[in-house]
Amino acid sequence: MSAIQLTANGLALGASYALVALGFVLIVNATGAVNFAQGDLAVAGGFLTVALAGVVNLPGVVLLPIAMVAMAGFGVAFAYLAYFPLRHQPPATVFISTIAFGIVLENGANGLFGAAPRLGPPLLPGGPVELSGLILPRQSLAIVAVTCVLIAGLQFVLMHTQFGRRLRATAQDAEMARAVGIPVGAMIAWTFALAIGLAGAAGMLLSNQFFIAPGDGTNLMLKAYIAVTIGGWGRIWGAVAGALIVAFFETILAVLLSQSAAEMFLYLAVLVVLGLRPRGLLGETIGRRA
Amino acid sequence: MRPIQTTIAMIALAAAVALIHPGLIGPAMAQTGAIRIPVLVPLTGPLALEGTSQRNGAVMALTDAPVGVRIEYEVLDTGAAPETAVNALERVLARGGVSVIVAPIFGAQMLAMLPIAAERKVPLITISGTAQLTEMGNPYVFRFFPNDSVAKTAHALYVVEALGKKRPAVLFQTTAYGQSGRQHLAANFARLGATVVFEEGLDINLKDFLPALIKAKQANADALVLQLHAAPTALLLRQAASMGLGIPIVAGSAMHQPTTAALLQPAERKGVCAESASSPVSSIDPAVERWVAAYRREFGAEPDDFALTQYDAVRMAIDAAVQGARGPEEMRAALASGNFTGLAMTYKSDGMGNMAHDAIIMCYDDQGRPRIDRRYPRLG
Repeated sequence: MSAIQLTANGLALGASYALVALGFVLIVNATGAVNFAQGDLAVAGGFLTVALAGVVNLPGVVLLPIAMVAMAGFGVAFAYLAYFPLRHQPPATVFISTIAFGIVLENGANGLFGAAPRLGPPLLPGGPVELSGLILPRQSLAIVAVTCVLIAGLQFVLMHTQFGRRLRATAQDAEMARAVGIPVGAMIAWTFALAIGLAGAAGMLLSNQFFIAPGDGTNLMLKAYIAVTIGGWGRIWGAVAGALIVAFFETILAVLLSQSAAEMFLYLAVLVVLGLRPRGLLGETIGRRA
Repeated sequence: MRPIQTTIAMIALAAAVALIHPGLIGPAMAQTGAIRIPVLVPLTGPLALEGTSQRNGAVMALTDAPVGVRIEYEVLDTGAAPETAVNALERVLARGGVSVIVAPIFGAQMLAMLPIAAERKVPLITISGTAQLTEMGNPYVFRFFPNDSVAKTAHALYVVEALGKKRPAVLFQTTAYGQSGRQHLAANFARLGATVVFEEGLDINLKDFLPALIKAKQANADALVLQLHAAPTALLLRQAASMGLGIPIVAGSAMHQPTTAALLQPAERKGVCAESASSPVSSIDPAVERWVAAYRREFGAEPDDFALTQYDAVRMAIDAAVQGARGPEEMRAALASGNFTGLAMTYKSDGMGNMAHDAIIMCYDDQGRPRIDRRYPRLG
């Protein structure tokens, strides 16, 4: 039971980190700037579902798309507030702007909801699932399943739709994309919408399994940053692999060693990856970033 | 220049000097008879929950001062870092006129603030549990929450004597609070003849406690002892219930907080015990019941022991001011020598600034409701 639960918890944690990390990758590809508010935006998504669950009596699986759409809309507003006015400034200006926005979000959540951690709605009601004699944690399985669906959907949109091709064209060479008639500004706004919609999903998934508190954003952002650094900037699967590696260190390695040692080895692993493969385990497709 | 013009010019000059030199504002305020008590607490960061309780308790006492006593206060957020707390302290001291300061529950911040308080000779009243604060010979710190030598004695006594457990596992936070508690628990368990079969320090941002729980189980522990902050305590209890840990859990004071309990289903907190100084929501004392009702009205939240003891601390300072203590040195002397019967307990310094010497163990019953299971008076 413990080993299965440990694996399920690790996968659920890794899946949530992956959604935050994916948002990171999408924005850095499209704009060349790192969004340091990504963790706080995930927390905002978590608090949004906490608030929604208090108003409407709907299961989490129904609240999830509502929260994602609302956060996507917020993502567009975020782009126009924190990115577009500063996009012609040096990259450091944009990342300082996102840090400032993150602090505003954290304090806003603190003011609106208070400092106490909150419990979000479960994706599916009910206790553990029994399958062929094995007892499996329902929420962890639901988180992993939903994350798989979201990642597969994102991959499909990016690789197999005209909209996705436009997004990728903008990410690869904005000037060339503009020259062939792609509305680059709109594509960047859509990228923010997608990235922050995913952050919202991560926040909701985390809020039931691991609670959500206004100050959680910094840690989430750090984990996402490490995941992307290990996995590789610029690639979806790199971010996912990196997030699972972070979760592996936090769960499996923490059993074999200790939590402190596991964390120390995680950061040592980051240093090793940076030394041997500066572009991450699965490479990267872009050059400069903030 | 005519006299009226001279007077106006003098007043304007004095006002300008006061504005330019904030240190001069204090004596001017002191002359008006106001007692200035800044509240420096963590309202953001990992200890925001505890800091908010601390703020609420302090503000209740400050706004509930006796008629005729004029109180001036401001609330500053000390955030998550020691340097933020030091900056906040420097800011309030620069303005001058401070009688006493409500200082953060965060032990690491207190450790950074103590040398400044000693240098500037301003007393700090806190509810931080970190034992080291009152072990450094600093006469300007007063702690109104049982320190670890009191709380962890009760904690260990309950595990060993009340529960009859001799092989506890200890999980503690890697913060100053966690380390200090762990040190006192280890000493108390050794004194009581119990063997700690497993212990591990856990980061405050950790989300998955299953690895530590599995190792505690593998070590064949007969009780799990926690020294964790609020959110980690709730997460760990939830994961322990989910994995069916099957041994008694005695948590630290974070578990007595109603906001922590509210994160858990009754079945997840059933049978869990916790040490604390008091449990206002379980109290049957009419005065405490009235205070709890007022707190709920004021803040729309359930009060915890941090709020109650911080309320008592500020009331003792106001009481000292009513008795004539005005400046910081008079306030320090009054806190060091006086005794005060508050809502949670009677406070008196042990000579090192430890004012609280009682502890309780509260447990959650089959319906997940808190009740006081055992009292440990005058431990320190």
